[in-house]
Amino acid sequence: MNRIALNLAIGAAALVTVSAMTGAWVKSAGARYDAAAAAKAGKEAAAVASASDEKYCSPALETILRRVLTSCGLVKQGEGAKSSSRGCQPVEAKSVAAMSAGDFNALFLPMAQRAAIIQFDKDKADLDAAARALLDKSFADQRGASFFLVVSRASPEGSVAHNRELSEKRANTVLEHLRARFSDPDLEKEVGLLWLGEEFAQLDKTFCTWARSREGECDARALNRSAFIAWIDCHL
Amino acid sequence: MESTGRVFLVGVLVFALAGAAFAAVSSSDFVAHLDRQVHAISCSYAPGAGGLDETGSSGCYTALMSPFSSVLRAQTWGGIPIALPGLALFAYLFFIALYFSAAPQAFDRHSSRFLVLATLLPVGASAYYLYVSVSIIGAVCKLCVGMYVASGGVFLFSVFAHLGARRARFFVQEVPWGRYAGLFAEGVLFVAVPVALYLALKPLPAAADTQCGSLMYPEDKYGVMVRVNRAPGGRAAIEVIDPLCPACAAFAGRLGGTEYLSSLDIRGVMFPLDKECNWMVPQTVHPGACAVSEAVLCAGNAKAKDVLAWAFAENEKVRTAAKNDPQAGYAAVKKAFPDLSDCLGGAEVKSRLNKSLRWAVSNALPVSTPQLFVDGRRLCEEDTDLGLEYALRTLMELPAALGRDAPAASSPAAQAPKPADGKRPKAK
Repeated sequence: MNRIALNLAIGAAALVTVSAMTGAWVKSAGARYDAAAAAKAGKEAAAVASASDEKYCSPALETILRRVLTSCGLVKQGEGAKSSSRGCQPVEAKSVAAMSAGDFNALFLPMAQRAAIIQFDKDKADLDAAARALLDKSFADQRGASFFLVVSRASPEGSVAHNRELSEKRANTVLEHLRARFSDPDLEKEVGLLWLGEEFAQLDKTFCTWARSREGECDARALNRSAFIAWIDCHL
Repeated sequence: MESTGRVFLVGVLVFALAGAAFAAVSSSDFVAHLDRQVHAISCSYAPGAGGLDETGSSGCYTALMSPFSSVLRAQTWGGIPIALPGLALFAYLFFIALYFSAAPQAFDRHSSRFLVLATLLPVGASAYYLYVSVSIIGAVCKLCVGMYVASGGVFLFSVFAHLGARRARFFVQEVPWGRYAGLFAEGVLFVAVPVALYLALKPLPAAADTQCGSLMYPEDKYGVMVRVNRAPGGRAAIEVIDPLCPACAAFAGRLGGTEYLSSLDIRGVMFPLDKECNWMVPQTVHPGACAVSEAVLCAGNAKAKDVLAWAFAENEKVRTAAKNDPQAGYAAVKKAFPDLSDCLGGAEVKSRLNKSLRWAVSNALPVSTPQLFVDGRRLCEEDTDLGLEYALRTLMELPAALGRDAPAASSPAAQAPKPADGKRPKAK
């Protein structure tokens, strides 16, 4: 074999080897690429970011919440929804008023770790430093919750009308503080106010063990000079 | 014609074959990723034997995913791997060494000089890539080291062969330019054919395939975005980041290595994969990420980039510390940035971090990091490494459909990411 033939033979063998390897690798990758593209539609999607929905969100609780929040203007109920309403009394929240006080409070029992009780002085609706701190802490701990419920009450001293008005003031004081403290564009859609006055679902001493803004004072009267606050981790 | 130098051709053959083996494994690993999936790669001084890296923690993986592993990355997905012409070059050196061994009459001082000159190319390339590995990438890959050593070996033995050939009894006096040209042309052919074949056969994602969904609500109504990269007049981009996510740190490094960074005005949204604050993760993936995310938000536009750079550099250390002590994340960040101490852990920053997460909820984003949106269009997860330049160029050539802070067009909800069948999750 002359030099040129030898050169060509060896060169061709080496070049064909390298080219064949390259071709095989690329074709194999191409086949996998096509297979992956074809299988894409049938594959399960990765988890998608979503609001939380905890176990305590029973159908009964969700029904009540939906009715409260709809009546309170937080959840739209179609064309006729009142978008400007802010807060409500139980009488406006259909079916809530029909519940027994015990059943109503029982709905919130699973939220012991998420809820707090903001306490007020007698016949007052001002937040003290401890109340502000607890409110800030609770509101900042939103996690995946969609709604922040404020359920305000008054102790039985005074007239029913006065206490209804007082509990409404307490609920609004909480809302005003949140507006001032947190520049949250969703605030109006998140915070639901329900003022109960002295008329409905007074808290019993069971709730003394819950997070409260005042440590020592916990008789039933003091406990109901309050606003019960909680983020609700339920999809509605 | 006889030459004492021919005996050294055996050394050239051995080192060329070794170099070809290292380059072949490296090329094969690179080409495997053209399917846009995740694969284990070889990382061993014995090419092809063991040393599989399935976690992406080896120097080989870092080098493979760096912008230096291939050229023309913006023009074709992944670019042309440097190892492929390397393989062709070693194969060529093997071929001419074998040819000179088999045809003694073809081996004289002139052809041996050509051999020396030809081996200078892998030596020069090895010197450059060794510098890049040590000084820029900060990782040395075993396969690359194999190629560096092989390059040195072929050079050394070709020099010995040349010195021996100079003592041959007979040699051509005149410089044989025609022979040089022929040998050079063969070298060009050796490189051109495999590269052309690679380009002709490789899969190339269509422009539409480089976009994986879009943002429904790109506006920052919560004021939770922080400036990650300032590029006045550049394309508006949003990056979803977990500051303690190694994949985010690696992505930041890769993005920083592209020419496109200067054209992207990037704002970051914190999305820590830490159960302490993120209800969407069933288990904490990156302990301490909530605390560090708070630090990024506390730092604001002025210093967020510094905090992120620190977090990316220290992510493993902070995660390890926070694994057993949830407060360790706060302690680490307070030590590094004492001026943020008053803000950290406060109600306001916790609320802002929560709103960051809720921004992700409102856009129905996949629970993963990192994610990059250019003008509201999501860069596919598969394109965040080798295909980054190509995908970015493709995305940036699209018209700016979604303006900065403008309400989104009626785009569909963010699609789920394309499936990745690989063994290694993107976010670690």
